Amino acid sequence: MRKSVFTHKALLLLAIASPSLLLAQFQQPTDEELKMTADPKAPGAAAVYLYREETTDDNLHFHSYYERIKVLTEKGKELATIHIPYQHGDFKVTDIKGRTIHADGTVIPLTTKPSDLMDIKTKNLQFNQMVFTLPSAEVGSILEYRLQTRYSDNIVSSPSWEIQQPFFVRKAHYFFKPASGGNSISNSRGQVLSRIMWVTSGVPTTSVVNDQSGRYSVDLTDIPAIPSEDWMPPLNTIKWRVEFYYTYAYNGQDFWQTEGKRWAKDADKFTNPSGQLKSAVSQIVAPGDSDEQKARKIYAAVMKLDNTRFTRAKSEAERKAEKLKDIKDAEDVWKQQSGSDDEIALLYVALARAAGLKAWPMQVVDRSRAIFDTSFLSLNQLDDYIAIVSLGDKEIYLDPGQKMCPFGAVHWKHSLASGFRLSDKGPVLATTPGATFKAAVSERTAELVVDPDGSVKGTVRFILSGPDAIHWRQVALRNDQDEVKKEFNESMQGYYPDGVQADFDHFLALDDSSVNLIGVVKVNGNIGTATGKHFFLPGLFFESRGNHPFVAQDKRSIPIDVHYPKLEEDEVTYHLPPGFTVESLPQAANAFWPEHAILKIGAKTNSDVVTVTRNLAYNFTILEPKDYSDLHDFYQKVATADQQQLVLTRTPIAKGN
Amino acid sequence: MRSTLLCDSGPARLLVAACLVCACSPAQAGIFGKSQPVPQWGLDAYKTHAPDYAKDAAAVILFDEYLETVDSNGRAVEREREAIRVLKPQGRHNTCEVSSDVDEKINYFRVWTIAADEKQYMAQDADFVEEGETGIPTMLATRKSRVVHPPAEDVGATIICESEEVLAPFQQEKVWSIQNGIPAVFQAFEIDLPAGRAHTQAWHNFQPVPPVEVAPNHWRWELKDMPALTLRDIPSRPEWEAIAGRMSVQWGDAAVEGNDNQWRAIGQWVTTLEANRPDPSPEITAQVQTLIAGAPDFYAKLARITDFIQKNIRYFVVMRGIGGLQANHAGDIFRNKYGDCKDKTTLLISMLQVAGIRAFYVPVDVRRGIVDPKDPSLYGNHMITAIEIPTDVQDPRLQATVKSNDGKRYLIFDPTNERTPVGNLPSYLQGGYGTLAAGSSSQIIALPVLSPEANGTVRKGEFTLSLDGTLTGSVDTSHSGPEGAELRLILKDSDDKERRESLETEISQDLPGVVLNSFQFVQPAALDKPLEVHYKFTAGQYAHQAGPLLLVRPRVVGSHVLPFNDKPRTVAIDLSATGLWHDTYDITLPPGYIVDEMPDPVDVDVDFASYHSTITSKDNLLHYEREYVVRQIEIPPDQAASFRKLESAILTDEKGTAVLKKQ
Repeated sequence: MRKSVFTHKALLLLAIASPSLLLAQFQQPTDEELKMTADPKAPGAAAVYLYREETTDDNLHFHSYYERIKVLTEKGKELATIHIPYQHGDFKVTDIKGRTIHADGTVIPLTTKPSDLMDIKTKNLQFNQMVFTLPSAEVGSILEYRLQTRYSDNIVSSPSWEIQQPFFVRKAHYFFKPASGGNSISNSRGQVLSRIMWVTSGVPTTSVVNDQSGRYSVDLTDIPAIPSEDWMPPLNTIKWRVEFYYTYAYNGQDFWQTEGKRWAKDADKFTNPSGQLKSAVSQIVAPGDSDEQKARKIYAAVMKLDNTRFTRAKSEAERKAEKLKDIKDAEDVWKQQSGSDDEIALLYVALARAAGLKAWPMQVVDRSRAIFDTSFLSLNQLDDYIAIVSLGDKEIYLDPGQKMCPFGAVHWKHSLASGFRLSDKGPVLATTPGATFKAAVSERTAELVVDPDGSVKGTVRFILSGPDAIHWRQVALRNDQDEVKKEFNESMQGYYPDGVQADFDHFLALDDSSVNLIGVVKVNGNIGTATGKHFFLPGLFFESRGNHPFVAQDKRSIPIDVHYPKLEEDEVTYHLPPGFTVESLPQAANAFWPEHAILKIGAKTNSDVVTVTRNLAYNFTILEPKDYSDLHDFYQKVATADQQQLVLTRTPIAKGN
Repeated sequence: MRSTLLCDSGPARLLVAACLVCACSPAQAGIFGKSQPVPQWGLDAYKTHAPDYAKDAAAVILFDEYLETVDSNGRAVEREREAIRVLKPQGRHNTCEVSSDVDEKINYFRVWTIAADEKQYMAQDADFVEEGETGIPTMLATRKSRVVHPPAEDVGATIICESEEVLAPFQQEKVWSIQNGIPAVFQAFEIDLPAGRAHTQAWHNFQPVPPVEVAPNHWRWELKDMPALTLRDIPSRPEWEAIAGRMSVQWGDAAVEGNDNQWRAIGQWVTTLEANRPDPSPEITAQVQTLIAGAPDFYAKLARITDFIQKNIRYFVVMRGIGGLQANHAGDIFRNKYGDCKDKTTLLISMLQVAGIRAFYVPVDVRRGIVDPKDPSLYGNHMITAIEIPTDVQDPRLQATVKSNDGKRYLIFDPTNERTPVGNLPSYLQGGYGTLAAGSSSQIIALPVLSPEANGTVRKGEFTLSLDGTLTGSVDTSHSGPEGAELRLILKDSDDKERRESLETEISQDLPGVVLNSFQFVQPAALDKPLEVHYKFTAGQYAHQAGPLLLVRPRVVGSHVLPFNDKPRTVAIDLSATGLWHDTYDITLPPGYIVDEMPDPVDVDVDFASYHSTITSKDNLLHYEREYVVRQIEIPPDQAASFRKLESAILTDEKGTAVLKKQ
């Protein structure tokens, strides 16, 4: 009987650690371990893993886990509760043993029965969590436990070792004995998976030792905790891990070529420009249209379809009642005038081809989730489809599956994203282009009338293009306009100075992705302060709260991911009351980080009108830690420049006759 | 009688509590049904037009009816029928779910949709998902929810749900939540009791509606046109559930005449449920004798025991059936060194018993206003302790005291809050109510509101301003009472890196671009001693040049402004905590500069609070000082004008600018 591969997804949730059958007994703690109150290699840590071990034997169908944790602070006591997620049915959790050892050596064994709790259950799938809590955990305790997960004889489950943990690990040992007789392992397509490969992240490939018996092990010491910072790139790029998998491929080139052909065959089959699609496209485009006009018209047509990513997929009962067939190709999508985001993207390619355009599908990794890794021979990495159309000598990347994404752009999560694409040369691995700051502009204008008592009243306009506009337009697909107004108003509240009350008035072009989105807000409130002779207003109306990133933290050890470059353009006009004159405007500022970012602040006055402008552009997406110092310096300058005030002087008003 | 104690230990866990309530409220039940036509009641409900008052709502409840059928043993079977019309895209999430625990049974749960085009569908197995409560790291719960994702759930569709569930054998109370985030056209509640079994009902925030006896001992209440309760845009608002209307129906021991008798019965039920749970084991006895040896007075005995529990019993919730209400045995809690709120209360009662001090369970809710003296019910999410104070003990350290209607004095204490010292009381509990479960002496008690002196912060700062506008200096703060306790809890749950980031984030609210040069948290072992925070920083361009002038804000760090607006107010204003906060900042001016102008002093005195600030200068020193006192924890909406006046004054003071000029 052939065994099928159990994908790691069932165990990816396995947030716990590990040990082994090989250890019949728990380990005796050393005096140093008992007495330690901190670890100099993990200063301030709430706990450290003294030892972690994970063993997998795919012949005997088990994973075993063993952990020893030293609790160093109150927070570390939380590690005494262990949650073990697993797929109910194919897996079961067994042989749970645990104990707590106090700093004085007292041992308190785990005696309560672990609880097997249902986590989520659908018609075809159930995940559970085995939960237990070690007794008498206190600061200074060593928490120790071991357990096994066992799985059916007809599946294999190669391990995915999450080397980094929430806390520093002193020493870790991993061991994997693959299933022997690889010819008996197959995937869902019936391919024989006779080889083992692995992918590493954060740890060198050489750390994986393959012995003469075909077994694998990794031994590491002093493993830092999983980093946790704002603006982090996807965790798969920074978190240490080793992942094994069974494969038919000899090497990466072999795999990607083979899979590319298969992928291309499937994509071509789906995007076949059938007669019905040709007929349909003839109703969309005119014979005299240029290629670009055709491309745009087809794009507009597919954008009108029901995209279930933004509405909902029909249930079985509905599909049955409406006699809807399962979607097998682009023609089905067109017939049903409805499809998922991927299906609509592929429909665009099919219609474009039907119109005689050169168009190709591309499947990319969602960059908000992960970064593509060519050394990991798995198509499971790929998430979403986009389309590429050739217009003249240019290739235009389009995102028909992302409703409200304008023609010529892709959602930011699909920019700088890698994956498979079709081309004249067949399937190739490729990366989508990145955008510049000009593709994401946020204009904020305020027209404010100032009263002598310091209150202001006026109108604020937000003019958005690029990702921000797409975001709000997509919010509007799932909510009515009143709700969008409320959410928009709430999200913009942080841009106003303290004391300002904002009431959203209206949107312009909320449902038209071809032009800028405009949100108009009425504001009023008291933002001025006074002394005897002077009167002060925030110089930079939209930034006076000083909520700037990269300011507080002065060092960084992991890359920075800001998702996409951006330009902010502000113009604030204060209309001053009679009797007030300008004593001092915000000073002009010009901070420049070559090839990365620029800030320009300017102010001018004309009679009783003061206008303050501020432009901030950053033209990067991902930065390395070495760049953080410059980034920090730049934003410190921004933060301080944004705190300036507009100083007015009260002057006596001439009395009339 | 049934409720569920999640053991909320403070505002940080309110979300958890809210989720639990959601899971328990519009309970539907059932196993998947085979395809059946929409029942007649559903077709009738479908004919209801969405009323004008629902035009702004995301969805509207057209019909919602509960029927509780109670057998001769007091066990209830609950049927619910509900029809909801989706009015807006975001209204799709207003659907049905049913939750059940180990000792409950779902008989059926059927769901239909009548789509906007009038097509009818019945939800199939694939449209249901079951979800456990496994997402909370510190909880082990057996309750599960079955959620439906109905077919054709689009704008204009009507979702029709019917469920039946056998409730837990110990449940003798039903809380009928009559107000929701969406309006309801028609609601009904029925209870069908066996002959001779009594019932009582009480209402919270709603004019009572009398029932109709539709059959012998079968009672029905009906409500029409209930508006939605939305507090989204209201700043400084009370808890939603404290405002929402509800009715509690009792059919067990608490179904007796008279409000006091009902509360007594509820307390008696809790007393019986937990009887013997606090019995001390030999190990507990030995531990207590060691702890209190040589204790000079009542307070010292108390403090040594409460301190032991606060520092040694890890918070971990086990909710399995009646285990959601009933504590573990004190001996087990002591041995395992973990437990939830009722466990911690149990161990405390046990240890105090060894020390010769009487103490009692007090079910409460950490969301002020939920427990209502006019609505006898076990509805709540937390358990705390009432410690009887001997008549001869008069100790000013025992601040959180109440007097019962039989004249006994009790100290109210929350052993789950690991950092609030005995004698004080977390702010989230102050001003609420709880059930003193003292057997036949059980009663509802008002939890105290402590004086401002029991809580607050003293903050002192000394700074030097450079010619280039850079401010350097140090700040020393001392946090006492619940505020100090909250900070201690944050420290407990964070490591050094997180503490630094948190402090930097807080300071940078006032000082963008600040560089934190050093910081230190000083936590005395004794919880009644203030927590101190000391830090030094450099803030570039704190002062800004304006022509020949230099502008500087005398209030350097810290804000006391609560969210407010100028819209009409209909709900109470939550002030969060009583307390006294005092700030003093001295800024040494750069050489050659003197103060030209200063903001005016602020003096605001209102019934519930006061705020006074002054700015003075002498030689090259700019001195800022303010005192903020909050005397009430919640104020009625008719004081909104005073509240706005106070907050506006604080905001203006905090933004105030001093003008420096060259000598």
